[in-house]
Amino acid sequence: MSSASNESTSATSSPAATDGAPRRILLAKTALDGHWRGISVVARALRDGGFQVILGGMSTGTEIVRAAIDEDVDLVGLNVGGHVEVAERIIGELRAARADLPIFAGGIIAPWAARRLQALGVEVFPPGSQLDEIVSCARRLTGTEPASVSVSG
Amino acid sequence: MHSHDQRPPAYRSASGIELKASYGPEDVPAEHARVMGVAPGQPPFHRGGFPQGYRTKPWRIFQLSGFGKPEDENERIKFLLRNGETGFLMEHDRNTADHLYNVDHPDVVARKEDVGLTGAVMQSVRETELCLADLPIESTFGHAGGAVVQHAPFALAAYWTVAKRRGIPLAQLFGTGQSDFFLTYLGCVTKQQVPTAPGLRLNADIIEFCSEHLPKWVPVSIAGYNGGDTGLNAWQELGAVMANAIEYLDEVKRRGRMDMTVAAQRVGGVNFRTTMEIFEDAAKLRAARKMWHKLLTERYGVTDERALRMRIHIVTSGAYMQYQQPFNNIVRGTLMALTAVLGGTQSLGVSGYDEAISIPSEHAHQMSVRIQQILEHETNIPAVTDPLGGSYYVESLTAELERRAWEFVDQLLAQGGFLATLDSGWLHARARENQESQAIAEARGERKIVGVNCFKEDITPWEVDGFPPVTDAYPVALERLNAVRRERHETAATAALRELAATCRDPDRNIMPVMMQAVDAEVTIGEIGDIFRQAWGDWHTPKLV
Repeated sequence: MSSASNESTSATSSPAATDGAPRRILLAKTALDGHWRGISVVARALRDGGFQVILGGMSTGTEIVRAAIDEDVDLVGLNVGGHVEVAERIIGELRAARADLPIFAGGIIAPWAARRLQALGVEVFPPGSQLDEIVSCARRLTGTEPASVSVSG
Repeated sequence: MHSHDQRPPAYRSASGIELKASYGPEDVPAEHARVMGVAPGQPPFHRGGFPQGYRTKPWRIFQLSGFGKPEDENERIKFLLRNGETGFLMEHDRNTADHLYNVDHPDVVARKEDVGLTGAVMQSVRETELCLADLPIESTFGHAGGAVVQHAPFALAAYWTVAKRRGIPLAQLFGTGQSDFFLTYLGCVTKQQVPTAPGLRLNADIIEFCSEHLPKWVPVSIAGYNGGDTGLNAWQELGAVMANAIEYLDEVKRRGRMDMTVAAQRVGGVNFRTTMEIFEDAAKLRAARKMWHKLLTERYGVTDERALRMRIHIVTSGAYMQYQQPFNNIVRGTLMALTAVLGGTQSLGVSGYDEAISIPSEHAHQMSVRIQQILEHETNIPAVTDPLGGSYYVESLTAELERRAWEFVDQLLAQGGFLATLDSGWLHARARENQESQAIAEARGERKIVGVNCFKEDITPWEVDGFPPVTDAYPVALERLNAVRRERHETAATAALRELAATCRDPDRNIMPVMMQAVDAEVTIGEIGDIFRQAWGDWHTPKLV
């Protein structure tokens, strides 16, 4: 077993929030696709970056909107494992419920589908995205970006 | 940059085995050195099951394929066969098949555009017939789908029913259906599925049914691939596969209805992955065959050599295919396929170069076949069996992987066995540790991936935009579901469902004969799923993330 598993991806900075309370991110899967490797690694990086991560699992748009409101999250991360139209519909539902809530997305998202999400103002992290870029994006979207950070510590 | 980290850079295999700068005879442990010179075709078979290797039997070119409507999948399979594929695989829609839902289930309707994205929708035998239209199932090795344990009884019964309707005797059919615990209990965990204990019962039922009616069929195929791509390293993958086989063989033995030699042959078609870790993964296949021989002789007292040869199917790792600069993946696919061939695989699927982007386009699929054909016909590799045999390095890796894998088997058995470690989430935790350490190594640049975390400049003039999804899979499936409900013989369907429910409650009855009747009566997967859920409830999914 690799000893690296005990090491941390912790950033050099303190937890993300500037007002003391950690920022909360809902990570949810849009498809009935249970691959969890990607979301697991991203959730770990975000937690190490000082965020509180709430896992929504495989959720419908209605379930994601409800969880986002009930959990009073600052950011929603959509793990898009299916067709981009499903993600687009969920983004529409989220914005109808809470227009101010930032959203980012990751997963197996083909370039053409990524362009559609980007056109909606959603930042997209396809496979191979660097974890520090994802954490920086979460900080920017929640208004908690420190001057300069790196998850590689 | 990492001033706190003063360790010298160590050379290690992907699974953590420390690597020397070169190897000599002293690096091969005595136990292994003793069998190093044994010829291929001789026990313990690490050098291959057959003395002539690929001279007498080339590996099967066997690509996962399918999407959209059954007609779309049928067309793609024909395309692959035309291009030289020598067996075919059916892929079922994840939303409906994996969960045993019909398309009008609320969880499917909520994301109806996803339907058909990664496999064709087959809710009743009518749709399986469309998918298999004009395919030579009497003479071609076919994978009926049913990679998911709870889905396998339906998928197999539907395939076999199509054959019966064509007048092909079941005993003539050869193929497989996988029915794999690594997939939806470890790597791609469904939202809802039967617990592992009834899952084991279903697999044992399939094994027994095949031994009676389909002697040439590979009833289940343990897929270490799915464990590997979720995070298990090479010796964990090996150990977990052996522990999984122990579950099947112990259960068959407990039932006492099958000869263990036959059972061993039935369970001995196994799937692993190869990655870019060329020598460790080639050694993994050699270690697997040796371990299989030891497991069967020592634990089950099997002596018939035909039953002691493990047959291996390899899928090249999808997780090693990159989104960035996707044409680099043609090189990666070639190297991973080479690894499989050097390790002596019987069957091979190469992930598409667009694997990280979408399901394979026609071109990506064709390239996956061409990679295999180039290896087979242009390299002269198939001329010699076990070409790595006798390499001090490879033999040392083979022995070390085996040693670590047996230790891992012991760890699994000490916790109640493979299924118990799925139930408890222990195996998921092992995968997660490796996922995280790999992610850290990539973030730090210690693990370099060309085009992803280094050498990122890209002048490729062509964009790989991903295979466009079929847009009418959902409405067509809904129409077909309603047609089946309208047109089928309702009395027969209801009676078959009642019989299926009764069989689920009686562990001494085999579910497959009743499943065959139900499928023939045009029962749908959603109805079968409802019966399974009533009988067995839902698996208590352990913590994953």
